[in-house]
Amino acid sequence: MEYIVVSILNGVVHGLLLFMVSAGLTLIFGMMGVLNFAHAWFYMLGAYVGFTLTRLGGFWIGLLLAPIIAGLAGALVERYMLRRVHHYGHAHELLLTFGLAFIIEEIIKLFYGDALVSYQMPDYMRFAAFTIFETNYPFYRLFMGAVAIGMFVFLYLLLTRTRVGIIVRAATYRPSTVEALGHNLPLVFMGVFAGGSALAGLAGAVAGAFYPTGPNMAVDFGTLVFVVVVVGGLGSVVGALIASLMIGLFISFSVGLNVSIADLLGLFGLGNWANDIGGLFTLQLSTIANSMPFLLMLLVLLIRPAGLMGDRQ
Amino acid sequence: MSQARNLVLIAVGLAILAIMPLFLSANLMNAVIKMMIAALFALAFTLAMGQAGMLSFGHAAYYGLGAFAALHLMRAVEMKLFFFPTPLVPIAGAAIGFLFGAVFGWLATQRTGVYFAMVTLALAELLFTLAPTWNSVFGGESGISTMRGASWGLSFGSDSHVYYLTLAWFVISAWCMWAFTKSPLGRLALALRDNEHRVRFLGFNTHVARTLIFAISCLFTGVAGALLAIANEATNYTIFSAQASANVVLQTFIGGAGTFFGPALGAATMTFFARVTSDLTRSWLLYQGLIFVLIMLFAPEGLGGIVSLHARKLRPGGWRHLLLPYLLCLVAALPLIGGLVFVVESIHVIMTDAYFAKRAAAGGAWVAYQLFGHTFEPLGPTTWAIPITLLGVGSLLLPMARRVTAAAWLLATQDQPPPSPRAMLSLQHPSRS
Repeated sequence: MEYIVVSILNGVVHGLLLFMVSAGLTLIFGMMGVLNFAHAWFYMLGAYVGFTLTRLGGFWIGLLLAPIIAGLAGALVERYMLRRVHHYGHAHELLLTFGLAFIIEEIIKLFYGDALVSYQMPDYMRFAAFTIFETNYPFYRLFMGAVAIGMFVFLYLLLTRTRVGIIVRAATYRPSTVEALGHNLPLVFMGVFAGGSALAGLAGAVAGAFYPTGPNMAVDFGTLVFVVVVVGGLGSVVGALIASLMIGLFISFSVGLNVSIADLLGLFGLGNWANDIGGLFTLQLSTIANSMPFLLMLLVLLIRPAGLMGDRQ
Repeated sequence: MSQARNLVLIAVGLAILAIMPLFLSANLMNAVIKMMIAALFALAFTLAMGQAGMLSFGHAAYYGLGAFAALHLMRAVEMKLFFFPTPLVPIAGAAIGFLFGAVFGWLATQRTGVYFAMVTLALAELLFTLAPTWNSVFGGESGISTMRGASWGLSFGSDSHVYYLTLAWFVISAWCMWAFTKSPLGRLALALRDNEHRVRFLGFNTHVARTLIFAISCLFTGVAGALLAIANEATNYTIFSAQASANVVLQTFIGGAGTFFGPALGAATMTFFARVTSDLTRSWLLYQGLIFVLIMLFAPEGLGGIVSLHARKLRPGGWRHLLLPYLLCLVAALPLIGGLVFVVESIHVIMTDAYFAKRAAAGGAWVAYQLFGHTFEPLGPTTWAIPITLLGVGSLLLPMARRVTAAAWLLATQDQPPPSPRAMLSLQHPSRS
């Protein structure tokens, strides 16, 4: 029981964090068709900005400025780089952002070195929110979850209830019509890209204070956010939320479970046979927990490429 | 005429590669071996990417599988289970590469474009995350190692034996791939890239064709991996990393995916670049990323594209008009590069822990730092004047060089339309997307 409750709590929070990072990516992809490879690197940028500003001014200033700086960086990237290569096609844009990811990571390493930096939450947030089965549950995890939920509500309302949201959604489907109606489409594109980057930056500033902040944080996340976006359905914010929660729960449960395919086959009396073969059959679920998201992504891509909530390919 | 010229060029290149080991130090010879392997990898990758338009983000999977297959074969020989001549070990890599290429390719080629890239990425990541936990096949986190066995009267103890082995396989594979592009299936690959629907209407089974092309690309990727295993005698799961897949993409596009030999050129150049600069500076990945992004922005067809553009467009003797303008471009670029390198390396020195310790010892003062064998004061006027002057001179010269080159290009090609003025680095058209 204890295991299940703690796993669910951790999984939900981890999933919400994943959602914070991937929400921007799915918006950008759904609208512009650009699969922004550098997205997780904006998350990393946010964490380092948060770290720097926490040292200079304070945690909350960092939390406020990290999305702004990441958003500005995103706007510049869209305006001066992506727009330039737009007419070469989407593969070219993907490659460009891929090179960009390299550059962002290396510039950050240039200033902060190869080691982890100690980005810490303020001391007054370092307390246990509640105690469950003799385990103290840190308040900061709840804080991260709350920020993510706030972000989701904000995004959802923005996209479905406001004029800006209508234009953005319309531009996803009929960009030329939107332009013909007199809206500045390049500006909308730049805004979405900047907004998506800003969300990643905010996620970085919030999560960096809890999880380790280091040069590897983007690589670790980089492919996982793709999984979320693909599984959730490209362009769907709700799909991204569901996929994030699914993957977060999946990882947090499988980390603690020591079952293998052989154990499973044992239920049918084939356990000894599987154990003799060894290899894949005896790998513990906990050791291959990291492979599971990719397996899921593979299945979704092959069976239902539009994803859970996507409606077109 | 141009075919004869190409043949002569290839013959000269081969002759140089063949006699090179006589003059190279052991270290450099090793570098050339790695360059050839990287070039072969890039050529194989381009077979799928450049020819058939399948952007694979997980080619390291087949590269790594080829390497592990070769190592297992060599280990079996070493344990005297059976005999297998060392020079033929890459065949194992080829077989495994083709096999997995066919299976994974069958899955991946059901999708196109970005979705195809995602499937290949997922497959490679699956292998990357599985490999360190699967001890019997991939040797856990430490990987597996072995020794090259002697065969055919060759000991394969020295680097020069490995060099000629790699060279032979490189030449054979490159020739096979070139011949493939001329074969009906190779032509079909081009058609698939340009318009898959039409190919399907013509009655071809496009899924099978794409799978086959992908598998052949993986076959040669496996050869490259096996050659790497022979050269290093060891490997571990990091060979599957997204970084390794990324590298070949980078190198191929720097070289130019639209031409046949461009990727090989790019891979060899970047491998050499990495080899040289990684000894000199820790920021070499930054420079590599900058080169990649600049090429993506200004010369989307890559180095090979630039070369082939000149070969196609220049009228006879036209290069005489371009010689001086290109020299001017170089003169404009050098101060820019110099200024950038100075800034990056200065930041690099100042942000190290060693420098922080020095500052702390000096009571927080900005103490002098060493760079390029000189001492600089961080707040001194010369320290700031050097990069500012270099960058200033460069950015003044650059627009001038651009104009001069654009004018010269017109002269050199005459009745050809002028290139886009933005594309200073390449002087080429966005001919195809």
